[in-house]
Amino acid sequence: MIQLKKSYKYYNTGSRKAYVLSDISLDIAAGEFVSIMGPSGSGKSTLLHILGLLEEPNDGEYLFLGENVSHLTEKKRTELRRNQIGFVFQAYHLIDELTVYENIETPLLYKGLNSSERKSRVAELLDKFNIVGRKDLFPSQLSGGQQQLVGIARAIAGNPKVIFADEPTGNLHSEQATEIMELFKKLNEQEKVTIVQVTHSEHNATYGNRIIRLKDGLVVQ
Amino acid sequence: MLKYYFKIALRNLWLQKGFSAINIIGLAIGLACFIMIALYVTDELSYDRYNEKADRIYRINSDIRFGGTDLNMAVSADPMGATLKKDYPQVEDFTRLYASEGSKLFKRGTQFITEDRVTYADSNLFNVFTFPSLIGNTKTALNEPNTVVINETTAKKYFTTSENAMGKMMECKDDKTQLYKVTAVIKGIPKNSHFNFDFFLSMDNVEYEFGNFLSHNFHTYILLKAGTDYKAFNKNFIQVIDKYILPQAKQFMNIKSMEDFAKSGNKIEYSLIPLTAIHLHSERNVELSANGNIQYVYIFSAVAIFILLIACINFMNLSTARSAGRAKEVGIRKVLGTEKKSLIGQFLTESTITVFIALFIAVGITWLSLSWFNNLAGKAMQLSTLLKPQYMIFLATLPFVVGTLAGMYPAFFLSSFQPITVLKGKINAGFKKSTLRSSLVIFQFAASIILIIGTIIIYKQLNYIQTTKTGFNKDQLLVVDNASMKTSTAETFRNEVSKLAGVKASSFGGFLPVSNSSRNDQTFFTDAVMSDKNGFNMQVWRVDYNYIPTLGMEILSGRNFSEQYGSDSSALIINETLAKSLGPGDPIGKAIYNSDGPDKPTRAYTIIGVVKNFNFESLRKNVAPLCMRLGNNKWMSAYRVESGDIKSLLAKVEDKFKAMSPGMPFNYSFLDDSFDNMYREEQRVGKVALTFALLAVLIACLGLFGLATYMAEQRTKEIGVRKVLGATVPNIVTMLSKDFLKLVFIAFLIAAPIAWLAMHEWLKDFAFRTNIGWWIFIIAGVVAMSIALFTVSFQAIKAAIANPLKSLKAD
Ligand SMILES: Nc1ncnc2c1ncn2[C@@H]1O[C@H](COP(=O)(O)OP(=O)(O)OP(=O)(O)O)[C@@H](O)[C@H]1O
Ligand SMILES: [Mg+2]
Repeated sequence: MIQLKKSYKYYNTGSRKAYVLSDISLDIAAGEFVSIMGPSGSGKSTLLHILGLLEEPNDGEYLFLGENVSHLTEKKRTELRRNQIGFVFQAYHLIDELTVYENIETPLLYKGLNSSERKSRVAELLDKFNIVGRKDLFPSQLSGGQQQLVGIARAIAGNPKVIFADEPTGNLHSEQATEIMELFKKLNEQEKVTIVQVTHSEHNATYGNRIIRLKDGLVVQ
Repeated sequence: MLKYYFKIALRNLWLQKGFSAINIIGLAIGLACFIMIALYVTDELSYDRYNEKADRIYRINSDIRFGGTDLNMAVSADPMGATLKKDYPQVEDFTRLYASEGSKLFKRGTQFITEDRVTYADSNLFNVFTFPSLIGNTKTALNEPNTVVINETTAKKYFTTSENAMGKMMECKDDKTQLYKVTAVIKGIPKNSHFNFDFFLSMDNVEYEFGNFLSHNFHTYILLKAGTDYKAFNKNFIQVIDKYILPQAKQFMNIKSMEDFAKSGNKIEYSLIPLTAIHLHSERNVELSANGNIQYVYIFSAVAIFILLIACINFMNLSTARSAGRAKEVGIRKVLGTEKKSLIGQFLTESTITVFIALFIAVGITWLSLSWFNNLAGKAMQLSTLLKPQYMIFLATLPFVVGTLAGMYPAFFLSSFQPITVLKGKINAGFKKSTLRSSLVIFQFAASIILIIGTIIIYKQLNYIQTTKTGFNKDQLLVVDNASMKTSTAETFRNEVSKLAGVKASSFGGFLPVSNSSRNDQTFFTDAVMSDKNGFNMQVWRVDYNYIPTLGMEILSGRNFSEQYGSDSSALIINETLAKSLGPGDPIGKAIYNSDGPDKPTRAYTIIGVVKNFNFESLRKNVAPLCMRLGNNKWMSAYRVESGDIKSLLAKVEDKFKAMSPGMPFNYSFLDDSFDNMYREEQRVGKVALTFALLAVLIACLGLFGLATYMAEQRTKEIGVRKVLGATVPNIVTMLSKDFLKLVFIAFLIAAPIAWLAMHEWLKDFAFRTNIGWWIFIIAGVVAMSIALFTVSFQAIKAAIANPLKSLKAD
């Protein structure tokens, strides 16, 4: 489902290129639950952004769902993001001005669902995540764990094929983290959603069925 | 999707209440100013256009130069209209007004009331102009002598209802008593007319030597047939002059031909002015009312556009500044797969809605303040004018235009970023120092400073007019109307009043150095053999022995009239302008000549004194040649009063008047008031300009305040860190204020020369004008800087004194 071949990413710092990722090749099949690990600054987030079509590699080839996406237009990439990909961030990145309900509804709006379809889908998710009672609250009125639940609900609202999660539990207590991990596991097993997560915790990494380790921009394992 | 945009837009407005309030209020005030000025300008442009035949009605103007004096008059000779109609088929009709007699007394019950707005009119006046009748047939109403058409207000005033007034007799008194029958009541002439009368008396009642082409006393309007080019028609006047005027002129003085007349530097010209151009483009002698000035229409249009721009810029600046705070939202939306166009749609909807809200508030503000503004501008504007299609279209498109302009920048700017760049928070830095925003702030303040400087200079000129040495002492001079008294009674009255404590000097004389008082223009000659080579026109004022001392005029050489000299009946006192034009040498003792008509004998007058020039027309004009001679008219008396209690003195004068002239109205004025009235237009312009200048500054400051708030907010974390590192409050305030002040200073550098040029141009209109002092610029600059500093530092100080830990923790 995801094939990254000999990819490089660098930033021009002053006169020379600073390589963040070099010669990365990856294969992730549909239905996998992959954890990416590595020390801070090793390029985990960058790799995830590339996989999620938020950034482009400087060199190499990227096949997403069997399609070469290396030179897609922004419009096409947006379309893929909208329909196939869900994102979960360490900082949750909910829209502060929208309620829980509206945050979850937003991707559906962009997908062009009509109002009754949106309603039933959001209701279903609220129910599933046990947050029906909080649907009218604003993000600032929620705890971190609750915000992340909303973030995940929002990520899967559009029925994506794959979820990219960048340290989804980085800001949470261990109990909350466990809850989120269980949720991912359930999604992966019951709904066959492919999940790629970045994590610093060995324990969390074990929820997945494979670990990719990065160091200084190289895959070490 | 649109519904969603709406929801989000309203949500954002609500969540950022303070910000939205500043944004919306600033824009609303700006729009309200714009709407009010637009109403004002529309009103000025609408004069006389309500007449159904407005585009075919023209007034005949006369321009005569004789002996070096120019007379540009709004009146022409009485036979002119009829002559044109007879000789030129293009002329469909003509009608005349004869308003030279001024105010008259009309009797209501036992009391007489002074009526100023009285004219004689040709019977076909109502065929040419559109003054709808309430009762009676205006087409025939003035056919007979001793008839009068009045307006509704007058009918109510004298007869309680219009119905009652019809067919009633009205007693009118000037030199003699005359009864007029009310034959029609009209609906009152709209306020946007270049003339406005309450009484139209039949032309048949005018006592005048009709048929004289050389006396110009009638306002004559002609109705041209559709499709006639009036400019081409003007050429016909050459024939008219040849055929009718020259023969009469030859009788009067020794003119051989028109060429000869012209060679001596003289001229007679007639021309048509379109009815609709009179109000804004005509400033002639004997206008029927003080007209407007196209210059002010331009000035106010410019002010309106300035204010609208300032307000819109504000709006754009605040919206863009705030949108930086929404970069995160944009980033998330993009991650979620939002297309660029729907982001753009969202921002545009938001700003358009905001403008709509502001527009509604603006209309509300206009509605509330229109009566105040009408008062200020001396107008009768109505909010319903806005319902005209051109306004509706304009007002409906405005929110889209302003909304798009304001929303465009954040919409396109933010949505063009890579989502991850936005999420990483990298674009905020770029947003803080936007050159576009800086230029907009500079523009706003430059416009405000121009308005401030302009206002100061207008006020300085007004002050100059009021305090300048006008050649006479206008303060505490009481003028009483004696027209209703017999000559002998008037004399007794004056003697009685002179005896009152507090009255220092008194004089008879209707010729006063303010407009709307008597004038008398005559032709004099420097030689006993009168020809067009040695003739010149001047004002001849009939005064009495006490006139010059009472008015506080100064005799430069020679002497005042004196009862000790029996020959003073043919003596003249001339003004400086005339003395100069008489050439070198002492004018005292020189003789000049005139005659009352073609077959009357020539009279010689001896100059006995020269009086210091005094302004008797608007200070826009230079002082024209003038002489005074002894006269015997008693219809006005003037008193120099020096009393601490003017009110009780005035009451005593009134008692005496009522006792000697029972049933007659006591009309009086103070010369300085009449003098101020001459500059009412300037005063209005001054007040209106001041108001809008202040509002412009206010709007600009609101914008600055919003920006400063935003900047401080954006930099809370930086400020916190700096404070932890040891920065003092003044350090922080300086850091935050410096950039803004720099912008205001640049704005000042741009505004100063522009304001100087514009106001220099405006002052050129005045023959007597104040100078534009450099201190005005300093004041305007300091004012703008202080206001800006005050506005910005308020926020800066607030940010600087906040507890640093708080802001750091919050992040
Ligand atoms: N715009 C940029 N310009 C220059 N260098 C960058 C830029 N963005 C990221 N980097 C560098 O790329 C490297 C990898 O960053 P990345 O965010 O992928 O690390 P990470 O593995 O996710 O670290 P962490 O565990 O701390 O989140 C870092 O050394 C960072 O400094
Ligand atoms: Mg990272």
